[in-house]
Amino acid sequence: MTVATDRAGPGGFLGFRGKGVRGKPPVDKFWEEPDIPPVFKIGGWLALAILLLPVVIVVLAGLNAGDFLTFPPDGLSLRWVNEFLTNEQFLGAYLFSLQLALTTTVISTVIGTMAAVFLARTDFPGLGVLRAYFLSPLILPGIVLGLALYVFYVATFEPLTGIRLQRTVAGLTIGHVLATMPYVIGAVTAALFNFDRTLEEAARSLGAGPFKAFMKVTLPIIAPGVMAGAIFAFIVSFGQFEVSLFLSAANLEPLPIAMYISLRYEFAPIAAAAGIFAIALVVVSMVITSRLISLKRFSGIKFN
Amino acid sequence: MSTNDKAKGPSRRKFIKTGAAAGAVAAGGLPLFNINHAWSQDVTYDGGVFDAGGATFRLAEWPGFWQENITELLLNDFERDFNCKFEYDGSWPWFAKFVAGGVDNPPNDAANWNIPDLIKTARAGEFFVSQDEVRANVPNANDLWPFAYDNGVGFTWAFGQYCFAYRSDRVDPAPDSFKSFWDDRFNGKRATYVTINTLQNVFFMVANSVWGSDDHDMEAGFDALRRAMPLKLSDFTGNMQTLLERGEVDIAVLVDGEAYMQRDRGVPIDQYIWQEKKALLTQTHTISRGSEPMQKKLAYALLNRRLSPEFQTKFDNVFYLRPTNKNAEVAPNLAANGVTNDASSTEGLWIPDWNWYVDNETEITDVSNEIFSS
Amino acid sequence: MTTSADNVTVEGWGNALRVFLGGNRLIWLVLPAFIFFLLFFVFPVLSMLAISFNKAIPGVIDFQFDLTLANFERFFKRALFYEAAIRSIGLATLVATITLVVGYPLAYLIAKTEHPGRNTFLMILVLTAMQLDMVIRLYGLMVLMGDNGIINAALLQWGVVETPLPLMYNFFGVVVGLVQFGLPFMVLSLIGIIRGIDPFLEEAARSLGANRWTAFWRITFPLSMPGILAGSLLVFAISMSSYVVPALMGGWKVLVLPIHIFQQNSELGNWQFGAAVSVILLMSSMLAVLVYQRYAVKTAGGVRA
Repeated sequence: MTVATDRAGPGGFLGFRGKGVRGKPPVDKFWEEPDIPPVFKIGGWLALAILLLPVVIVVLAGLNAGDFLTFPPDGLSLRWVNEFLTNEQFLGAYLFSLQLALTTTVISTVIGTMAAVFLARTDFPGLGVLRAYFLSPLILPGIVLGLALYVFYVATFEPLTGIRLQRTVAGLTIGHVLATMPYVIGAVTAALFNFDRTLEEAARSLGAGPFKAFMKVTLPIIAPGVMAGAIFAFIVSFGQFEVSLFLSAANLEPLPIAMYISLRYEFAPIAAAAGIFAIALVVVSMVITSRLISLKRFSGIKFN
Repeated sequence: MSTNDKAKGPSRRKFIKTGAAAGAVAAGGLPLFNINHAWSQDVTYDGGVFDAGGATFRLAEWPGFWQENITELLLNDFERDFNCKFEYDGSWPWFAKFVAGGVDNPPNDAANWNIPDLIKTARAGEFFVSQDEVRANVPNANDLWPFAYDNGVGFTWAFGQYCFAYRSDRVDPAPDSFKSFWDDRFNGKRATYVTINTLQNVFFMVANSVWGSDDHDMEAGFDALRRAMPLKLSDFTGNMQTLLERGEVDIAVLVDGEAYMQRDRGVPIDQYIWQEKKALLTQTHTISRGSEPMQKKLAYALLNRRLSPEFQTKFDNVFYLRPTNKNAEVAPNLAANGVTNDASSTEGLWIPDWNWYVDNETEITDVSNEIFSS
Repeated sequence: MTTSADNVTVEGWGNALRVFLGGNRLIWLVLPAFIFFLLFFVFPVLSMLAISFNKAIPGVIDFQFDLTLANFERFFKRALFYEAAIRSIGLATLVATITLVVGYPLAYLIAKTEHPGRNTFLMILVLTAMQLDMVIRLYGLMVLMGDNGIINAALLQWGVVETPLPLMYNFFGVVVGLVQFGLPFMVLSLIGIIRGIDPFLEEAARSLGANRWTAFWRITFPLSMPGILAGSLLVFAISMSSYVVPALMGGWKVLVLPIHIFQQNSELGNWQFGAAVSVILLMSSMLAVLVYQRYAVKTAGGVRA
């Protein structure tokens, strides 16, 4: 099964042929622009500017040497970065958010991928409804979800089971899993949409069990989709504000809540410094991910 | 006080809990169960230190900067002295949580509030230990200025006075009355808050009284809001301070302490403290009636410390708030700005009629939204 | 309706049965997610929404069996509320459209970038913008777009305008904030699809005499329809349900449904009316999605998304 484990690209089995495959030398200079119409280049860089301008401002504000969150900064320094690293409240919130986002990502990715496989592999009259069912948290405002879960935990779940979920990490994680799973399902469904099932069938006809065939053949091919879903889940969980508002556990606040709260009282550069560390997280995880899986094959999302 | 008007509500309502759990939950609301319930047992406290045997105490207060400092100034020592552990809930709002849990199952043992939410919760059921019962058990609770009891439910332990903060470098002449806020020169450069913020609620009631017949004269207040357009809105004072600092606004509704704080940081800010109605922004503490006896006793002890002159001075110096204990000294930071704590400086201080506000809140919010979004 | 048999070439009854049984076994894959959603999403949310049919009583959050449509009546009688519904839909539609126009070129650029390092670099830029906390990101926008912000300072300096342009605390500000918020979601939805389009299709069209533009509009663009659909629906949904962006960028003056929901729930404790507004938000979203899907699928020439 050389095709299935080929990580350079989806080979030739989908009618998709990368340039490398066809014999053209791959582009290997970092700064070399791809050969696309100039209007796309200009448009692309414009979009990047819209995306990144506020980010640059926040980063500079976090490197401010002065006492307050001002722009332009009064000189650059690592003062607030150091402050962040020694601030129990912010660092604690940061580490908690990291832990929460990791747990959420694992649960969402595993359960969501399983569901996506089902959605992609079956076809029955209610399929559209079932898809909508899994995507519905996207259109519900997070505050409604948070309040509904809180009331459910207190008024129904605890009296019935004796288990306290309100204001616990478990209860908060449940909310985050609900908010992130649609992204995982969307991304994995997109990857499976183009997946040639005969490959898996072939593996099975060669004697592999369904689980083994999936793990050895399908998963490596849809890995970029799964990884895209996981990255989405991580980012959405890490930045989740609205769902967390009612569900935050005692003594433990996720970073977005801690930031919002601190900005209520004063606009201190430490919030911007915390933002720098949040960005660092994504950069590090992306560099690691790109070593593991070629992001060129990032599959996008499919939401309908 | 009308706080107990609707007290019969929650226990009855528990029969019809959300969804399918109705049957299972209903039992918890039967009066039968309350006979042996914690809050029917007497708890007394005399002001001394005791060993709570490592009990966990659930405290709801503001998060962030507030939590950081209150932990340092009060909670750490308290945990050590009383051998207990705090579980801090900073995720406001608490109204929904009290109502969702019912009287017997409070979400926290003690809570810190702004008054409107407190009044709403108290009106939804007998969630809190009464002022009389607290005063019998908390010695320091008897040394406060009269307005500290005005809310009828909890104990006000810190406060600030409402003012207009303005950019002293950009505003000349200085505003000298409540009505100055409406000067044409501030068009588009004046700011207040969304209705979710207590500061806007009080600003509105004072506008009622200054522009109309009294603080219940809504029409005058709405008219004043209309005439204040265009204005900018903020949700919290932190954001408002940034708007002032960045010069996005020249004049804003604020509390005196925050104006001093910002000036001490070097931002060119002055304040006009409202004289027409000396309105107060307050921090008020409650003790939950449904808590276990040990937690209730700890709540008394914690409140006693919170109301002590020593703690209030220490706390006020960080937060630029004023003490409610008659015997407390004004914090150095405030004293430097001319604040005193005596009979004359606390005379005429005014806590708005929050019961009236809560009764009319829906109408006020809807019309205010219509005005702001026009 | 198609059946599972359409997906796989089935030879004979035995094989069909196997596929069918295989399909049945797959049920186990979806069960954990299904039950999880049923217990922690459908049940709590429906219980919450059910109280929208109760009379609004402050301080009551449980469902009562005394049903009424009063909350919905109030919603549709007061311009403050029904205009917010129209505004929400209009805003989300506008944001989805702008995001698509701005995001497509970037997605195209990233999709066509061959160098792995450069590709990762571009992806990191997009994800960085997505990861930075929204509240602090909006501070960055305020520095840019405020009355005393960088843009206005520059315009004043160059004498383009005499008084600062109102760039935020209004509808325009909310649109910019939501575009900023939604752009990464759009770009990420498009990249995979654009990359999956066989570049030789376009090359073939060009070799048959079509110019670059014609080739793009006739080949690549229609083929990226699934990504366009997915991306615009996603951006529509997150714009529609966002509270923090309209609140901060609109200075609470641009009243959309989530702001009303937040106010009714957190400020007024009027959970019944808050639930009614939530129901209306959900209904409008679903309706918009349905209409859009019908329309888009038709114009896309039946491309199944």
